Amino acid sequence: MIKKKIKIINKLGLHARASSKLTKLALTFKSEIFLIQDDAKANAKSIMEVLMLAASKNTIILLEASGSDEKKAILDIENLINNYFGEGE
Amino acid sequence: MSSFNIHGVSVSNGIAIGKALLISNALLEVVHYQLEIDEAPIEIKRLSQAINDVKKDLLKIKKQLQKDSSEEFSAFIDTHLMILSDKNFSEKSKKIISKDNCNAEWALKKQMDFFINKFEKIEDEYIKERKNDVIQVVERILKVLLGHPKQANQINSESSTILVAHDISPADALQFKKHQYAAFITDMGGSTSHTAILARSLNIPSIVALQNARSLIQNNEQIIVDGNQGIVIINPSQDILEEYQVRQNLWEIEQKKLSKIKNIQCKTLNDQKIELLANIEVPGDITSVKQNKASGIGLFRTEFLFMNRKELPNEEEQFEIYKSIAKSMRNKTVVIRTLDSGADKLTSADTTISSNPALGLRAIRLCLSEPQLFNIQLRAILRASKFGMVKILIPMLSSLSELRQTKLLIQRAKKSLSNDKILYDDNIKIGGMIEVPAVAINAEAFAQELDFLSIGTNDLIQYTLAIDRTDDRVSHLYNSLHPAILKLINTTIKAGKKYNKEVSICGEMAGDSKLTKLLLGMGLRYFSMHPSRILSVKKQVLNSNTQKLESAAAKILKTKESEYIETLIHKINQ
Repeated sequence: MIKKKIKIINKLGLHARASSKLTKLALTFKSEIFLIQDDAKANAKSIMEVLMLAASKNTIILLEASGSDEKKAILDIENLINNYFGEGE
Repeated sequence: MSSFNIHGVSVSNGIAIGKALLISNALLEVVHYQLEIDEAPIEIKRLSQAINDVKKDLLKIKKQLQKDSSEEFSAFIDTHLMILSDKNFSEKSKKIISKDNCNAEWALKKQMDFFINKFEKIEDEYIKERKNDVIQVVERILKVLLGHPKQANQINSESSTILVAHDISPADALQFKKHQYAAFITDMGGSTSHTAILARSLNIPSIVALQNARSLIQNNEQIIVDGNQGIVIINPSQDILEEYQVRQNLWEIEQKKLSKIKNIQCKTLNDQKIELLANIEVPGDITSVKQNKASGIGLFRTEFLFMNRKELPNEEEQFEIYKSIAKSMRNKTVVIRTLDSGADKLTSADTTISSNPALGLRAIRLCLSEPQLFNIQLRAILRASKFGMVKILIPMLSSLSELRQTKLLIQRAKKSLSNDKILYDDNIKIGGMIEVPAVAINAEAFAQELDFLSIGTNDLIQYTLAIDRTDDRVSHLYNSLHPAILKLINTTIKAGKKYNKEVSICGEMAGDSKLTKLLLGMGLRYFSMHPSRILSVKKQVLNSNTQKLESAAAKILKTKESEYIETLIHKINQ
């Protein structure tokens, strides 16, 4: 299992379009992937859970992945978040 | 079957006669029942099947979308597809079925309520809004579960069909586009709703904000949609039906006749040139602006940019839209009105509901209290001014200090563009809406500090007579021919004349051809209206002599009673 802390940096946080991009990406991996914020834990493969995490800008979340492709999963998701979900701000 | 009428807001003109087709609001129909023992697996299977069907439907819509290339809609549908596939949604509903031994519809609704509750607690407005996506997805599944037949099968090709819905969602709007409906009517909505935009693009009559049409009208009932007056007549008597068949014919003949004066220059018998401009709400309206040969755009309402969406539009997005309109009108006037809605329409603003929204924090008041939001719009408009004859119009001014503050912000926006080395028209004209009575009374002071004045008669009447037009109980008191209203319009026109500033009317009065001669007599030279009204107003202009109308108008302005004013207007129109 790999764990990594990541800061949400895009302006609107994990809003709808960002959440659906993240979920879409998570679904491409075999590993189990979770986003943890305080006591809330969301399955990254469930759009509802990701949305309800309601992580806004500057929130720090703990990314957790376990499975055969866990390394790549963490790396790719980190890239997506640090790329402002491809939205430019 | 008794006949009755419902009144709403007309968003697209014309007359349609046809059979009602009700589009259901499935959520209202969900009932709860206990299953027999052993029935739960069947019910679960039924739910899985329904979810699969909806998935297939959405994928089909998405495929068609890619051809129409509408990114916004496509993103909507993507989110809906992901919600459908989410185990939290489908599996949990199935668990409810086996645990509570209840029907699939009820389980689905229960699970939806659970999500809505959670979303309600989220503070972030953008994410909170997503509950609507969940509701729309559940609606779709429910429709399949409840066995609502697909729209396409219900279409009776022999008689025309009128669509009756609670509201039309963007996904529905796209589907409806493919069918030949004669008219759309909905309980909800306003002039920038999806229903309105769709109806106008299809050029069919449409009435919205009917409140409870869907529950009052039955499937297959005969209805008349009078989009010219905003009236729906259900089960008309034979007399009324015949009357409307005649009206429908006359309307069509009139439309054909009017199209013949399209290319004639718009001037009166005594050679006075009159400008007939168009009011538009969305870029798509440009088509009808050109069809009707408007001499420019007298009012571009920018509210649509801010509505029905989760994020406020950024400068780039606004700029692209303003630019495309400025460019497509070439060297003709394009008056862009800055945001004219209340805080309730903005997704980001906190949603404190004021008890009296028409008198609350809206239009320029809102923009001055949210200078950042205003600055983005001003910069976008200024940038677009490089691509055509763009003018800025400020809504709902009530004092000179607001005007001065606004001009200062425009100055600042210009400066910031200069600093960024971005081009704009430094001589851009700034106009103000005359819609608060205080401003009309004081029109001279505003005429001195503005480049042009635009009278918004709808609000001016509402504020002067203290009448909420949307309140059925007092709407009959709304009267554009009240002597006080005519006086305020006259004062404003005279103030413009004195200081040599253009004065236009952009409210409904400008598009009412019965009033054209009166307004010409009062000295009005610029009329801005819904594009569909232009030709009938033009017909009046072509038959007018402004010199002769002056004395008739003066007489009307001296009249004390509205009823007598009506008689006099009737006389000058003969």
